[in-house]
Amino acid sequence: MLPVSLGHYLAVSAVLLVLGVFGIFLNRKNVIVILMSIELILLAVNLNLVAFSATLGDLAGQIFAMFVLTVAAAEAAIGLAIVVVYFRNRGSIEVEDVTLMKG
Amino acid sequence: MIATAAFYVFAAVLLGSAALVVSARNPVHSVLFLILAFFNAAGLFLLAGAEFLAMILVIVYVGAVAVLFLFVVMMLDIDFTRMREGIQRYAPVGATVGVILLVELASVFGSWQLLPQSASLRGAVAPGAVSNTAALGDLLYTHNVLLFQLAGLVLLVAMIGAIVLTLRARKASRRQDISRQVAQRVEDTLVLVKVGLGAAVTEAEFQRPLPEPAVAAAEPHGGGHGHGGTHAAEVR
Amino acid sequence: MNWTLALPEIALAVSGMAILLFGVLRKEESGFLASMLAIGALLLAGVLMTATGAGHAYDGQFVVDPFSVALKLLILAGAILGVALSVDYNRAEGIGRFEFPVLIVMATVGMMVMVSAANLMTLYLGLELQSLSIYVLAAFARENLRSAEAGLKYFVLGALASGLLLYGMTLVYGFTGTMDFARIATGLADPMQVSAGLIVGVVFILAGLAFKISAVPFHMWTPDVYEGAPTPVTAFLSTAPKVAAMGLLLRVMIGPFGHLLAQWQGLVVLVSIASMLLGALGAIGQRNIKRLMAYSSIGHMGYALIGLAAGTVSGVRGVLVYLAVYIFMSAGAFAVILAMRRGGRAVEGIADLAGLGRSDPALAMLMSVFMFSMAGIPPLSGFFGKLYVFLAAVQSGMWTLAIIGVLTSVVGAYYYVRIIKVMYFDAGETGFAVRPATLSIVAAGSGLVTLLFALFAAPVVAMAEAAARALLG
Repeated sequence: MLPVSLGHYLAVSAVLLVLGVFGIFLNRKNVIVILMSIELILLAVNLNLVAFSATLGDLAGQIFAMFVLTVAAAEAAIGLAIVVVYFRNRGSIEVEDVTLMKG
Repeated sequence: MIATAAFYVFAAVLLGSAALVVSARNPVHSVLFLILAFFNAAGLFLLAGAEFLAMILVIVYVGAVAVLFLFVVMMLDIDFTRMREGIQRYAPVGATVGVILLVELASVFGSWQLLPQSASLRGAVAPGAVSNTAALGDLLYTHNVLLFQLAGLVLLVAMIGAIVLTLRARKASRRQDISRQVAQRVEDTLVLVKVGLGAAVTEAEFQRPLPEPAVAAAEPHGGGHGHGGTHAAEVR
Repeated sequence: MNWTLALPEIALAVSGMAILLFGVLRKEESGFLASMLAIGALLLAGVLMTATGAGHAYDGQFVVDPFSVALKLLILAGAILGVALSVDYNRAEGIGRFEFPVLIVMATVGMMVMVSAANLMTLYLGLELQSLSIYVLAAFARENLRSAEAGLKYFVLGALASGLLLYGMTLVYGFTGTMDFARIATGLADPMQVSAGLIVGVVFILAGLAFKISAVPFHMWTPDVYEGAPTPVTAFLSTAPKVAAMGLLLRVMIGPFGHLLAQWQGLVVLVSIASMLLGALGAIGQRNIKRLMAYSSIGHMGYALIGLAAGTVSGVRGVLVYLAVYIFMSAGAFAVILAMRRGGRAVEGIADLAGLGRSDPALAMLMSVFMFSMAGIPPLSGFFGKLYVFLAAVQSGMWTLAIIGVLTSVVGAYYYVRIIKVMYFDAGETGFAVRPATLSIVAAGSGLVTLLFALFAAPVVAMAEAAARALLG
């Protein structure tokens, strides 16, 4: 059971999702903040899942949230590994000043 | 009543810190705000009765993921001021996209309704008597065993990926090789030089191991042979 | 619980881990042996697949039906071709590590789970297992800036896409109260009851999956990733994962959301038209052959989407035939691209193909077969692929879609034929370095399949038909 209406939770989650998407647009140069924005999006997803799970009285949402957490951790590890590789090659983590490939 | 107040506090701090994550000048601050956001999200989970997830969020995210972020931010030597250059340029686009998305979602969420027959469609009805953790455990290892194993594979792939991408076998580092140490003989390391009375040892006869060649480090895997033995070296 | 239904996946995952152990414990360079073992494991999974029955398993989260079997055979074929194409290139480029085939095997497990998904959670985990492996593969040449950049771009956009996909899934769950495909379908049987929230969820899911098949407007990553990733990874990327993602899209849109056809049909038509147009027009000015293949794959996915837009048995059949034809054309073309080596380096310019008709007539001949087939010229396999999707569109009365498809394939033919012109009529440098046997085998094999598809079209179409009937029930 939720202490407030489902709509409250959904609103928080929607704002969080939008902040995450906004963060990706805003920090086009800084990959690490982009990765953090992706974490925010996944947090929004989990918030949705938990809220729906509580409203429906169904645990499948929480199970899914657990898997989302697992995958998000794996994703963060791989993302940061790729960032490290990129940094070693380029000496910076700016994505935007990339002119090697254009088209 | 207290729960409602707590919801508003947690939600406000969560959204505030999320906004700071994406707008902070320094990525280290971003990570710290991310941690704050996770703590407050855990609070929201707790209010919704998902105790186990709340704990997992704190342990996995604050304990591992956020620390990983912090580690990488600090490991890479990044010029943060240059990172901010594009922000004025992108902010309007990002804000427009964000506002449109938010308006759309708000129009949808304003009156969320469930499918009338959703109660009968539920696959994992929450049992009333058991605690949240026990109920999740019951489900996870029985009905969801396939997914559990798949999640394990995902983590394995993440491990392989992180190692294969970032681990560099440094040929230059001097690791202890016990079998080589044991097999070492006196002749390999020690050279007896007869020094005539009153004469000096000429420089060329000094012997010492050369440093490992730097090229070996660039090789991807294997290939490089450890340099045993000693080399005559010039001493200047 | 009938766990043996997932036996091919289990066997493949276990062999993947065994190959990993083998590579770790063996001190020497074991890229080649690991690749051979991986091909063995993929073949084993294929054999096991013929032995397992059909039905639901794991609490209804996993389904094996003719549809999933057909797609899994294609996925395994694509993965085998991918591993075979990688062996020599990786050794020559100094990235011949045993982790490469292991990651391909893991990605294949993910893809097989994707097409067998009968639940939103299974779908998500399969998709992520595949995606995470491929992110790493794209950045696999870690000393190479372009590869690292390809990995980074693919990762960032891919993670955003799966975030949106997930958000859509939560909305579907929140509306229907279940994640099971069959139950969602029963819940949505009456489209009048459907709320706007669910439609938003379906759109999010469609967007996330459109990213994975690189359909317009979620195609931005494709040219850069195709160009930057190591060529065998590009070859792999353009075969098996496309099949898996398209299969998943079919299963999701036609399974749980089948009753909402009227709501999503227009969207798929738009995406399909945009992809066909962009694929045809974007490729025209390209000088790099890998970029050209990227636009070509965008276009091909647009054609395949015609079948989904039709939403009928013949539409699904068309998509399956198209995918079957496409993976062999694409793998063959990439075998030729991989053979483009000069002075110990891989060359990727279209101009580098000049004079191939004289210096290596066999290779030029094979490339011409693939290019003519991609252009859709009869009697090559590409023609049949297009024929069946256009047929489905016409049967469903979607004349516009079919006409635009025909027009864009005429435009597309221009740049495919340009490559043939470069090979035969442009004076060029001396030929390429001696090509390894594996490339010759893959190119010749795919060439035969492409050339002689007409001979065995009937059983393939029959199998696709059975698969489509299983999906549409």
